[in-house]
Amino acid sequence: MYTREQAQKLAEKILSFSRFPECAVTISDSEDAYVRFANNGVTTAGFSVERRISIASTRDRKSGVAQTTEADDGALAAAVARSEQLAAISLANPEHMEPLSARNYPELAGWDQETAQARSPLMIPHVKAVIDNAVKNKLVAAGYFERSAGVSVTANKHGNFGYHRGADSRMSTTVRTPDGASSGWAAQPAVRIREINGAALGDIAAGKCRRWNNPQKIEPGKFTVVLEPTAVSDLFSFFGFSFFARNAEEGRSFLSKKGGGTRLGEKMFPEAISLITDPFDRRVPSLPWSFGGLPNARIAWIEKGVVKNLAYDRYWAAKTGSQPTPAPSGLTLEGGEASLEDLIRATDRGLLVTRFWYIRPVNPQTLQLTGLTRDGLFLIEKGQVTTPVMNLRFNESPVRLLENVQKLGRVTRCRGGEGSGMLAPPLQAANFTFSSISDAV
Amino acid sequence: MINRREFLGSPALLVATELFGAPQDASKAPAPALEKLGAAALREAKKLKASYCDIRINRYRDQNVSVRLSPERGTGKTLEVPGISDGGSFGFGVRVICDGAWGFAASPVVTAEEIARITREAVTVARASATIKTRPVVLAPTKSYRDRWSAPLERNPFEVPVEEKLELLREAAAEVKKGKQVFMAFGTLSFRSEDKYFASSEGSSIQQFLVQTFAMLNAGGVDIGKGLSRNRSYIPTPLLTGWEFVRQMNFPENARRIREEVAEHLAAPPVTPGKKDLVLMPSHLFLTIHESIGHSTELDRALGYEANYAGTSFLTPDKIGKMRVGSDIVTLYGDRTYEQGLATVAYDDDGVKTTRFPIIEKGIFRHFQTIRDQAHLIGEKESRGCCYADSWASVPFQRMPNVWLAPGKAETTLEDLIAGVDDGVLIEGRGSYSIDQQRYNFQFGGDAFWEIKGGRKRGMISRVAYQSRTPDFWQACDAIAGPSYWQQYGSGGDGKGEPGQTNSMSHGCSPTRFRQMNVIVTD
Repeated sequence: MYTREQAQKLAEKILSFSRFPECAVTISDSEDAYVRFANNGVTTAGFSVERRISIASTRDRKSGVAQTTEADDGALAAAVARSEQLAAISLANPEHMEPLSARNYPELAGWDQETAQARSPLMIPHVKAVIDNAVKNKLVAAGYFERSAGVSVTANKHGNFGYHRGADSRMSTTVRTPDGASSGWAAQPAVRIREINGAALGDIAAGKCRRWNNPQKIEPGKFTVVLEPTAVSDLFSFFGFSFFARNAEEGRSFLSKKGGGTRLGEKMFPEAISLITDPFDRRVPSLPWSFGGLPNARIAWIEKGVVKNLAYDRYWAAKTGSQPTPAPSGLTLEGGEASLEDLIRATDRGLLVTRFWYIRPVNPQTLQLTGLTRDGLFLIEKGQVTTPVMNLRFNESPVRLLENVQKLGRVTRCRGGEGSGMLAPPLQAANFTFSSISDAV
Repeated sequence: MINRREFLGSPALLVATELFGAPQDASKAPAPALEKLGAAALREAKKLKASYCDIRINRYRDQNVSVRLSPERGTGKTLEVPGISDGGSFGFGVRVICDGAWGFAASPVVTAEEIARITREAVTVARASATIKTRPVVLAPTKSYRDRWSAPLERNPFEVPVEEKLELLREAAAEVKKGKQVFMAFGTLSFRSEDKYFASSEGSSIQQFLVQTFAMLNAGGVDIGKGLSRNRSYIPTPLLTGWEFVRQMNFPENARRIREEVAEHLAAPPVTPGKKDLVLMPSHLFLTIHESIGHSTELDRALGYEANYAGTSFLTPDKIGKMRVGSDIVTLYGDRTYEQGLATVAYDDDGVKTTRFPIIEKGIFRHFQTIRDQAHLIGEKESRGCCYADSWASVPFQRMPNVWLAPGKAETTLEDLIAGVDDGVLIEGRGSYSIDQQRYNFQFGGDAFWEIKGGRKRGMISRVAYQSRTPDFWQACDAIAGPSYWQQYGSGGDGKGEPGQTNSMSHGCSPTRFRQMNVIVTD
């Protein structure tokens, strides 16, 4: 992967081919290694090197974008020329902003040499630990272990340059009974691959699989829920979009006010709710810049229940006289000190949810979502987990979920099957709407 | 860092365009330069005692042109915001089997030296996986082919001036924006081409060329007073074809239609929930077919290979030929040969000649979608040609072919379907969709809904979704309109696998009626 010097040289070379007043370049250069397993054996494994270069040229507010994966002089010159050809025939963009001058991008952690260099020999023993555990318990394991390492670069003809290298890894496993009557799941994302513990994941997933066996039918309806952190994270994968000031002002977000305006500054949620973006948190990978090259920063979107900030791109900020504000990314829902067990103990009757699956917006404006529970749903009665229950479909909005939060637990990094994950606590909330039963295991 | 020049060893550039030759090249043999590069992988794999090797050298081109019309803040003046991008991706991926296990590696540096290096990487990966293999990979036999094939195409959309595309979209978006309640109008045209070369250690050498065309017009309506926002879209079905298809899209008329329908949608009363009959139009039903039948009949899901991500299936091998999934009139085919289908190709990414096969026949489950390394697991002798990788950098695996629903009797009309409904809903277009990991319980919305009362289509209604269970849904199917109504709709972006890959496929069908579905009212 490109070092800072090599990346700078490459960006300069691309910009040297430019004949238009404005030219902006983004480069990504990455290496991924992964092992996939199912039916207690490895199914596929791979190693891939990828590179993408994107060039945007502009003259008289007319822009064109060309992308290439080829990095030799001829291909790069051709890509710059193509972006200029496209710009020449485009229309003037009335929302185009002047190029960014040089910015000071924050230095972020997020690199780990061991993660970046890990290959099959490091990953296979963790896979083996999961499989051995499953075989010992007469269960069937499937799963995935990947590590990625990559370089991201942003540069333009007006002297702006940003370079970031990041690495990340994650392992997940689903352990099922051979007859398919029960299933359990566990996952762990980690910037530092040495923190991944395959044996522990195999244990959690196998334990859940044993406990969820023979789930009982329960009538759907409104329930108090205790959501494990991954289930919380699953529900927030669409949440960030609503914080774009433009969407809110134009009446397309839950933050739009009836009759016009936004709900910025309103106390919409309980005091305990704070939702932030923090690129400096070492537990999650982040980029030093946001859309349009804005330097990333720590931003509170909701603070003590009050809608505190909206995201403004440079165009919308200029139109509204606001500060440009980076987009919501890498969300953290702040929590408390309670453990998952504490939340269960504090529940008289409710459902404990391991994670959700196939979540889609039903109404992008109210953020009503639909989706299903998966890999472990349990009835809680008088502070105890008593009965495994069959999966349920929900129709619910994370906005209402936050309004109905009663207790929050300790925050951990999580990543389920939906979205890119976040830092989330387990939580207890009232009146969560389930609408039908699923036969799926 | 990988520096292309280091691997080239000479200043000569291997430009992808030259390597693949012109798509219209009449030759039936792959380009010699491709065969030479392919041989570098096969040679290296043989040297390292791999029992199987294949290489795919692929070049993709993507072009996207769009126009958005929205009001300027403060003045209300309509601003016209264009978007033009044109991109390419070029590289290769090598698969090997060593000691009975698969290994894969890929790189964007397409030179003989890098191909040899990456083949060694793939062998290293395979040997590491072999240390914990449970059973060796077994490939179903296939003939070897030396062929060159291009999907039928009258005019390559990449050769059409971008100005022409922009102009078409400007006119269409302007027509949409004329609607009083249209806040934002948006139009886009996208084109994707794929030059693909496949060579295997079993003697195949196959070059193919495909072009896909996508388009969309959208009318976004907002009623600030009521705090409502609604959409209406025109999505001409994406097809494996060229510019000639854009000519048939009839943007002006459809622009006028959707600007009126979005106003109607904003004012439409919510549905009264309950059991209702549904008449589902092809622009909507294609996605229900995809989610409920397309995914449940993938053999890798049924065997547990996707258990950790996309899920398994309610259909298992013991149900072949036995389980009733639909009513007697329900027959669906898997088909990678159907003209203009998004998943249509002459040879799959295993180098297998593609096929058409019944998935559901008169309501009974008949066949899974298969690839070479799975067929033997259910006692089948050959693959049905459903192997696909979405990039040179991705591992080929089992992906969905075009899956289409056979039309009803010639004399059955859409009007017949509606006339037979006392209380129901007619649904067009795609909306929200969600289905469980074994493909039983689903919930679908749509883009537009009309009430059916007393056998007649009435006004538009809103906030509709229906929930069902796959076998219940298809067994409640009691009428399918005839072949003259049959239309192929399709979609890109279907996700599966870890690392995630996307796939495009088509699902043809006629308007179809389903009895007594559970209809709910949404937000």
